[in-house]
Amino acid sequence: MGLIDNLTIYAQQQNLSKDKRLLFDSFVQKGFPTIKDEEWKYTSLKKVIATEYTLESDSSEIDSSIIKNHSLGLEDKIVFLDGVLLYSPKIKGVSISDFSDFECRNNDAITELNSALAKSGFTITIDKNIVVENPIEILFFNSTKNSFAQYRNQILVGENSELKIVEKIQDLSNSSTLVNHFTHISCEKNTKVEYNKIQNNTKESKLIDCMNIFQEQDSTCEVNTLIFGGGFVRNNLNFEQNGSNCESNMNGVSLLDDKQLADNHTFVDHKTAHCRSNEMYKGIYLGDSKGVFNGKIMVRQDAQKIDAFQSNNNLLLSDNSTIDSKPQLEIYADDVKCSHGCTIGQLDEDALFYMRSRGIGVEEAKAVLTYAFASEVIENLSIPELKTLSQKLLAHKLNVDLDFSL
Amino acid sequence: MLKIKNLKAGVEEAQILKGINLEVKAGEVHAIMGPNGSGKSTLSSVIAGKEDYEVEEGSIDFEGEDLLELAPEERAHKGVFLSFQYPIEIPGISVSNFIKTAINERRKAQELEQMPAGELLKMMREKMELLSIKKGYLSRNMNEGFSGGEKKRNEIFQMAMFEPKLAILDETDSGLDIDALRIVANGVNKLRSEDNATVVITHYQRLLDYIIPDFVHVLYEGRIIKSGGKELALELEEKGYDWITKQAEKEWA
Repeated sequence: MGLIDNLTIYAQQQNLSKDKRLLFDSFVQKGFPTIKDEEWKYTSLKKVIATEYTLESDSSEIDSSIIKNHSLGLEDKIVFLDGVLLYSPKIKGVSISDFSDFECRNNDAITELNSALAKSGFTITIDKNIVVENPIEILFFNSTKNSFAQYRNQILVGENSELKIVEKIQDLSNSSTLVNHFTHISCEKNTKVEYNKIQNNTKESKLIDCMNIFQEQDSTCEVNTLIFGGGFVRNNLNFEQNGSNCESNMNGVSLLDDKQLADNHTFVDHKTAHCRSNEMYKGIYLGDSKGVFNGKIMVRQDAQKIDAFQSNNNLLLSDNSTIDSKPQLEIYADDVKCSHGCTIGQLDEDALFYMRSRGIGVEEAKAVLTYAFASEVIENLSIPELKTLSQKLLAHKLNVDLDFSL
Repeated sequence: MLKIKNLKAGVEEAQILKGINLEVKAGEVHAIMGPNGSGKSTLSSVIAGKEDYEVEEGSIDFEGEDLLELAPEERAHKGVFLSFQYPIEIPGISVSNFIKTAINERRKAQELEQMPAGELLKMMREKMELLSIKKGYLSRNMNEGFSGGEKKRNEIFQMAMFEPKLAILDETDSGLDIDALRIVANGVNKLRSEDNATVVITHYQRLLDYIIPDFVHVLYEGRIIKSGGKELALELEEKGYDWITKQAEKEWA
């Protein structure tokens, strides 16, 4: 039985509201997207949905040392285990709670599935004029074998408030798992939000992540996507600017090996004038890995004086790795500054010779240059613990020893 | 230390070095001068092992070993150092991490343990002082955003850190103002010893006021057409290259 059949049986057993029933029916009617869908042209879900998944999670316990091992060590943590909220911090002006239902406008099949059946996730509400000083770490653990889990999260940031988050989804079952992750963020006027995703899950794990961000005037939102692991990762990152002087920043590093696949789909909808967006994604592909980048920037007719910058740089370091990169600019305003650049290449020969002439062996030199290539994104991470972890993961995966600073 | 015999090398279509003979002994400083396009930088690249150049004939012997058989990194491990005319920018790698990697790769080749971070840091500080390098330099990215002078000083800093037996300074004076030139030359002089040798490649006599050579060679059309003592450099400064190159052309004809 395929995943859709299983889900249909599961849905019948739930006491779904009429709205959710409609959403689920719509999902079934559309089915999972195939490579015939433009948005899924380079990423096939065929194998992902052919697996048998367990739809109900076991309830279990987690050792605090496991949490510690997978944590950045930040003070304020929200921890989920198999969909159950274990604990959350108490922060002044911030309310953190378990799953609460909300509607979203997306009408793609996978989001509809999430809307219909998800019953786990976090809701963070921040009052006006609150600067959350310490970043919050959010950890989702799964210990159920072959589970299909859906999380639905919401963050509402009140006017003039600031927040930083680091999120990690971690499988502990060492089996083939799938997560359908959906997060909605509302950034009110003059807010600053930074969301960091560490995607370094096990080789058999699969993730479909969708994040929708709505920005009001004078808000800045940054999303950093750091992919170091996971068998299959698809990120849909959507920004909608609804006021002047908004800034949307998105950065990513993908370092893939073996048969890993990582697909970053970004979309910035510039609906209002005098706004900015900056995008920098770097990909490094080894083994038989595959990368996909699709960066869509829409500048609506009234959105004059937009400054949008996008870059996607890729290093293919093996014969069998591939990257499909597609910038997609749709500009309907006439007074805008939009630039994009995409590179796919190998390492710089002159730099390699320079390093070798200093006594650095060719393999080490390649690893160091690859590290350097990705570090442009990592250097800019604002949370020191996250920066250090990323540097370590990068150095470790590339087998270089560059973890000391003077 | 270094014996170059009848070295002929070039790129695919063109022969650039047309039979170079040069012997450098420990403790000596040699200057190689010559007009643009005479093959000075090609010679330094071939010694360092740049794969873009093909050696057609001749040999380079370094302390009894055939240098041409070795990879660039192995040459570095044996004690050959090239200060680049155009140092390469490597964004994303700090000077300290670069030096640390290079030092430990050498030590690995010599089957030595990694240098302890504290010891390395102490050595870096000493050498920075020698070259009047300011604090904060170690955490800057390798050559990124460096001025011409800073890049050259960074080359000499690396030389100081690696303590090579043979240092080839390719146009190290270009891009340096007079103060920087003095500091760099002073650094090079302090690093000189009975056991190492320096080859200075330069256009101008200026650098040789500060780094006094034992021998001066004139390279022209891929050959050394004249060798002499330090006074030859002064003569070139005064008279230019014409008088020697014309003489050489006459002889070749």
